[in-house]
Amino acid sequence: MKPAAFAYDDPTELGEALTLLRGDGEDVKVLAGGQSLVPLLNFRLARPDRLVDVNRVEELAYLRRDGDVLRIGALARHADLERSQEVAAGWPLLAQAVRFVGHAQIRSRGTVCGSVAHADPAAELPVALAALDARFHVRSARGSRTLTAGELFLGFLTTALEPDELLVEIEVPLPPASSRSAFVEHARTHGDFALGGAAAVVGPGEARLALLAAGPAPVRAREAEALVVAGAAAAEAAEAAVAGLELTGPGADWRRALLRELARRALEEAGA
Amino acid sequence: MSGGAWVGRAVPRREDARFLRGEATYLDDVELPGLLEAAFVRSPFAHARLGAVEARAARALPGVAAVLTAADLDAAPLPVGAIEGATVADAGHPVLARDAVRYAGEPVALVLAETRALAEDAAERVDAEYEPLAPVLDPRTAAGAPPVHEHVPDNALVRWSRRHGDVDAAFAAADTVVAQSFHIPRLVAAPIEPRGAIARHDPGTDVLTVWCSAQDPHRPLAQLGSSLGRERDRLRVIVPDVGGAFGSKGAVGVEVAAVAAAAVVLGLPLRWTEDRTENFLSAYQGRGLDADVELALAADGRILGLRAALFADLGAYLYATTPVAPHTTAMLLGGTYLIPAVSVEVVGAATTKVPTGPYRGAGRPEAALLIERMVDVAARELGLDPIQVRRRNFVPPEAFPYETPLGWTYDSGSFERCLDAALELGSHASLVEERDRARAEGRVAGVGVGMYVERAAGLWESADLRLEPDGRVVVRTGSSPHGQGHETTFAQIAADELGVDPEAVEVVWGDSGEVPPGVGTFASRSVAMGGSALVVAARELKQRAEAAGLSLAELVAAEGGAEASARFSSGLVFASGAYLAAVEIERATGRLRILSLAAVDDSGRIVNPLLAEGQVLGATVQGLGQCLVEEAVHDEEGQLRTASFADYSLLTAAELPPIASRFVETPSPLNPLGAKGIGEGGAIATPAAVANAVADALAPFGVRHVDPPFTEAKLWRLLQGDPL
Amino acid sequence: MTRRIAVELNGILVEAEVEPRLLLSDFIRHGAGLHGTHVGCEQGVCGACTVQLEGEPVRSCLLLAVQADGRSLRTVEGLAPAEGLHPVQAAFQERHALQCGFCTPGFLMTIDAFLRDRPDPSEEEIREALAGNLCRCTGYRGIIEAVELAAERLRRA
Repeated sequence: MKPAAFAYDDPTELGEALTLLRGDGEDVKVLAGGQSLVPLLNFRLARPDRLVDVNRVEELAYLRRDGDVLRIGALARHADLERSQEVAAGWPLLAQAVRFVGHAQIRSRGTVCGSVAHADPAAELPVALAALDARFHVRSARGSRTLTAGELFLGFLTTALEPDELLVEIEVPLPPASSRSAFVEHARTHGDFALGGAAAVVGPGEARLALLAAGPAPVRAREAEALVVAGAAAAEAAEAAVAGLELTGPGADWRRALLRELARRALEEAGA
Repeated sequence: MSGGAWVGRAVPRREDARFLRGEATYLDDVELPGLLEAAFVRSPFAHARLGAVEARAARALPGVAAVLTAADLDAAPLPVGAIEGATVADAGHPVLARDAVRYAGEPVALVLAETRALAEDAAERVDAEYEPLAPVLDPRTAAGAPPVHEHVPDNALVRWSRRHGDVDAAFAAADTVVAQSFHIPRLVAAPIEPRGAIARHDPGTDVLTVWCSAQDPHRPLAQLGSSLGRERDRLRVIVPDVGGAFGSKGAVGVEVAAVAAAAVVLGLPLRWTEDRTENFLSAYQGRGLDADVELALAADGRILGLRAALFADLGAYLYATTPVAPHTTAMLLGGTYLIPAVSVEVVGAATTKVPTGPYRGAGRPEAALLIERMVDVAARELGLDPIQVRRRNFVPPEAFPYETPLGWTYDSGSFERCLDAALELGSHASLVEERDRARAEGRVAGVGVGMYVERAAGLWESADLRLEPDGRVVVRTGSSPHGQGHETTFAQIAADELGVDPEAVEVVWGDSGEVPPGVGTFASRSVAMGGSALVVAARELKQRAEAAGLSLAELVAAEGGAEASARFSSGLVFASGAYLAAVEIERATGRLRILSLAAVDDSGRIVNPLLAEGQVLGATVQGLGQCLVEEAVHDEEGQLRTASFADYSLLTAAELPPIASRFVETPSPLNPLGAKGIGEGGAIATPAAVANAVADALAPFGVRHVDPPFTEAKLWRLLQGDPL
Repeated sequence: MTRRIAVELNGILVEAEVEPRLLLSDFIRHGAGLHGTHVGCEQGVCGACTVQLEGEPVRSCLLLAVQADGRSLRTVEGLAPAEGLHPVQAAFQERHALQCGFCTPGFLMTIDAFLRDRPDPSEEEIREALAGNLCRCTGYRGIIEAVELAAERLRRA
């Protein structure tokens, strides 16, 4: 189980990386943490002509608070998020969610931006970032743009990123003042892919709820959020959160029940 | 029985240092000059006619040494094993597919290249013609399906039945008859080191040396010898350190035979290191049994008769050990109980899946699950306490040696003592109180017991013993470790017999050029058979010294060293035990939580309690895996849907429940150590105990039986009152 | 098309010419000849190939050898002193935390980094930290106990 051959570049400057990503007819992939990409290479399910390894682009290696926002650079590792006192204090949902990402050996290498760009609907951080109304800054040799979660996540392993674009930074606004947050998930074994999960942020006059493994992309449960703001019990809001989900296939009823329970727990833990 | 200072002591393992320091030598660590790496072209279809295999593009790649198909290799299918009283079809696994492929993943061609990556590049360029045929998936209906092998029109690769007593009369006289159908899915042994082989042929001597990750050298020697037509003096098998086997490295895989045959054809040293995907697709899988079982009982809970039909999902071909598991299940269906009338029929069905074979327990876990579930089902039907029903039917201590109606003789046992010990160890009374309290609060909780008997040991094993004048003792054993700790336990046994320090004892194993012919390590037989052979050899030396009027040391000095060889043979011995499980099922999600497990094993005399407990814990957690998450799933096309660790989960440290272990020691009268077997009890009894606890938890919801694994989705549906 | 890399492996500079697709695990084992790092799944699940990259535990099957160019790596061969055993290794032996030993080096490299960051872990934290390494033999209890024992000894040392 060894990768098919590919060409490899490891630029040290962002501009150089973006130029390489243009590809000139080649199938080019970005290699950051590699914790999702390398298994696909090993299985030969991904067979790019060229890898552009951005790990040596030092200018992307940052995680910092900047006024009222958290800035997560493309090379910020899950472990950086996990260890950051600023994140724990200002964005506790991210600290809660990141602990569920794989295992320590995955978190030490995997990047937050990489997890977002991979867009696995069972991944934790895209859901937590969706609940926090994060904004996603994208660069290419053609220019730059900024997307919301709703604009970025299009479907199963599918984002609005063009092949030549790099997700360079995630900007996360501070959650509402005096809000509490919770992240819960259910997996067969610890660190295994989640079968369901929920991220909640609840504060005075404000509620956010996002669901994991509830569809092809992270799901924001807007109706449930409105119910919580209007004073509904967590159980009622959780019911509303799963009512509209399009779940199909064997076990769909169970998945709905699981998500309902996880949504309820997350909302209650967050104080709803 | 030996009564020295070392046997019975919890001695840490002396072999640990090399593993801990990264200095062990597993198969892929063996380096030979000029080794070429192998990759296999494997069938993408579960069932197809195989046409031309076009390999020109693959051979043209730089770095590729050869692409070989069946026509290029001088190798017969691997040998099929016999089972007493059974009809077994001639359906040995061809070394490479010839005219048909019968499971997805079956080897079709062998590529050899300078690196594994290049070999995989070339394998992708081999173009084989397939004409897909209908897959055969269900052992219950295989008889009416298109034949997997033309010469076996009813797809019955194995047929076996046995009847004892007047079964019809027993059922006619019964106050109650209970019947239940079962489906026990296939499992994957999943040793963390996959399989592999290195082969080198010396044209001068015509000796073929094969290193392989195996449970012992003897079976690879015999099976490769048969397939390649080689006498023992022209074949040497070396087993290096082995990263786990659990039964799955007992019969040699066709890939090993292919690499060995290719080494002769090409005259080059070759290595195949199996990767995880290959291990899922092509290493023989475990379990895979459907069953219909009926039990006839008197109103007081006495079992009068048992009737069973077993349908084993054997897969596409018969490895030497493939028929063993369903036969063992059948023979052990009486469990720990006196059952006067029994009728069992086994059909081992051909299906278009990878063959099955022994996996930790190998038929015993299936037997324990079937009979222990039936006892609980019957107790509920009769309104009796399942523990009382067990007590009423146990084979009593005075009945040993006890010949079961099915024909095996249990050498010794203390079944009720094991049960009592488990109830005490697991605090049964308070578990039941806790369960009742939980139920009163609307929670879903259950408690269950599982008894087991384990066929162990049997046949024979060898030991060569040499005492050197410098005080060293060299033991060459036919037994062979893959994690069990032979170097420590065999040294303990030798130390006691010879009155030396275990540090003076060197244990040599694994190389057919070094060790005496033997049988091997499986069926929890190493200590009882290999250890006993060592005892016999040591006693022969002592007797020789005594006859000469010398001490052992004097004999060694006089003769410049002293040697003895022994073969020890015995009938089967039967370990046994009782496990107790407490569970809770989360109502909202169906998640099963194992609250506690109490494990009581009677393995006869224990040589090293530290290592014995390690076997119990390891086997128990494998049994828990079978309960909670493990299941090999094939889709309607016959494709394995669980072909990686992402889809086939193993339990982690985070899921480990509290497990209490205790030993009851009823020595076996059949060997000088009084030993039985300890390797499998946890894997045998845990699923039975947990299945009973789960059924107990779901009983208030009108559920009588659930098949493993007890997944959230399945339990949740039952809690909703939905039929499965 | 190959690349020249230089890796500090257990304190020793190792240079090699490698294909970009060569996995770090294969480079360590067959390029540098250190066989203590084992390969169990090449998918990042089993943890047998865990090594430390710049002190952090990583799956060496999910890294390319070229990515380690100019970096420092530590494997199980770098853990033990020349004679005897590292405290975690000694605790493994005492608590019978290994059987076949194939998964053991991966566990050791995970635990070594874990105890550096959390010298006084709870049992819950230990179980979570170990969950990224699969062992099919021991049932994990001996491993959990060995981590507890080693942590206590390292704190006292």
